[in-house]
Amino acid sequence: MTGSVFIETLKQTWKQMVYWGVGLAAMALLVVLMVPLFDMQSMATLLESFPPVILAMVGIGDDLAIFTTNEGFVVIGFFGKSALIFAVYPVVMGMRISANEEDNGTSDLLLSLPISRAQVMVEKFLAYAVSIVGVVVLIYLGLHVGVVLGGVELNVAALAEVTFYLIPLMVFVMAATMLIAVLARRRTVALGIVTAFVIISYMLQTIGAAADGTVAESVGAVSFLTYYNTGEILSQGFIWPHIAGFVGLSAAMLLAALYRYEQREIAV
Amino acid sequence: MASGSIIEMRGLSKTYGSGSKQTVALSNLDLSVNRGEIFGYLGPNGAGKTTTIRLLLDLIRPSQGGATIFGLDVRADSVEIHRRIGFFPAELSLWEGRTGEQIIHYVASVRGDTRGIVKHAGELAERLDFDTSKKVRDLSSGNKRKLGLIIAMMHSPELLILDEPTGGLDPLVQQTFHGMMDEYRDKGKTVFLSSHVLSEVQAICDRVGILRDGELKAVESVSNITNVEFNWVDVDFRNALPAGLQQTLEDMPTITDVSANGSRVRMRLIGDFDPLLRAISSGYVESLHVEEPTLEEIFLAYYSGDKEKS
Repeated sequence: MTGSVFIETLKQTWKQMVYWGVGLAAMALLVVLMVPLFDMQSMATLLESFPPVILAMVGIGDDLAIFTTNEGFVVIGFFGKSALIFAVYPVVMGMRISANEEDNGTSDLLLSLPISRAQVMVEKFLAYAVSIVGVVVLIYLGLHVGVVLGGVELNVAALAEVTFYLIPLMVFVMAATMLIAVLARRRTVALGIVTAFVIISYMLQTIGAAADGTVAESVGAVSFLTYYNTGEILSQGFIWPHIAGFVGLSAAMLLAALYRYEQREIAV
Repeated sequence: MASGSIIEMRGLSKTYGSGSKQTVALSNLDLSVNRGEIFGYLGPNGAGKTTTIRLLLDLIRPSQGGATIFGLDVRADSVEIHRRIGFFPAELSLWEGRTGEQIIHYVASVRGDTRGIVKHAGELAERLDFDTSKKVRDLSSGNKRKLGLIIAMMHSPELLILDEPTGGLDPLVQQTFHGMMDEYRDKGKTVFLSSHVLSEVQAICDRVGILRDGELKAVESVSNITNVEFNWVDVDFRNALPAGLQQTLEDMPTITDVSANGSRVRMRLIGDFDPLLRAISSGYVESLHVEEPTLEEIFLAYYSGDKEKS
């Protein structure tokens, strides 16, 4: 029946979604509660003293001013610092779409049922995408609770944009993981490739952001993390071309994974 | 498709790797399984049994040849075929964090008739004495296999494909399982059962196919295969063995494995009894005992090349 795998996947995932979401929300809440403890003017002086490469590592480009606001502090303290952590959850979920079930053998039983491989994959993809939305919503709630509890003056709408921008980013990482897992077939191999992909992307983004105005800047353009530019989002709101890029590439990777999964053999 | 056949394999082959590293898992398999029979698929580990079943389920793809189930192509019509079959995998893996009941509901919901299937699953669980409330990770391997059998049978499929289903089940449950298979046959349903437990195949199957190194060596009815091959014969003489009888028996082309013990001689007889009866007529035969070979002996005979002699 249509939707059975989707519902079962959500049932099997909701606890992890809550654990991850609550954990990240607690981090966000903590950062918000720390805002009143910092003098933003001193913060600006401090930031100016750092070399660009260090700032780039926490997601700060040449738009320093924006990061000396309360919202900027939260973005540096939480979103910039946690870029790699945000990639872990979608990698875990992406591995579950095909690789984990092939690795532990449950895919033989599942695929002996009257359901096509494509339907299994699409329903799982959608279920894990919903769980990503759940994690992001919990993060936003953490920020919101921090604002209420700490009485902090924050532009919640601007932070909402930075927060919900995580959804296309994380879905993109999940789609990339799924595609790599389908191509690699073996879970351990896939995990190694995905880890390398995320870390290299992080390094390229850092190099690109630090080498502003040089040839090396173009290196950063190939990193997906470059298109999650928290400073730009904070000042401009949703950057729709970037979001469309994430969505389009995710859809393309989903289609490629579907095609390959349908063609290839299921690992023993 | 042959009349009445449910499974048809024609030239089904599967190789892995290429060049010098090529491994032939299954070679040019031609086999039909008829409606309403329990077909035993015999072979040692690595013979190609699971490869055949995974090909039938479209989990892997043939290098050559093809197969149909219910007249439908296993690749193009896999979803329709899967609707009508039940499958038990040899390496049974289930979702560890879920209870038996949750897994039954999940599989039933994919099959689309949750209420009816779950009701039948409950009946099967009762017969197999299985507690559906426990999580899979808390189940013994025998109980996991019971759950696997319930999942395979709970929608009363037209065809059951069972890959080594009874390993790890206690004798009482095995007996219940054999009864279930008899009921399947009585209802006109078909079972394709792979096994290396020969006594089980002997007890429940109508026909057997013997697979070795990816090649189908023989397909016979269980009754034929136990009758036509060879027999163990024990002859007890009233007094000592007649002089020269042991040598005479050893020289006969249809007799092997002659062993004498006092007034008794034991041998393996291939084919007709008449030459033996003539040879032993020189002594006073007190008793003659004929013992049919077990499938295991037939199986070993195929493997040792004795079949050519027979």
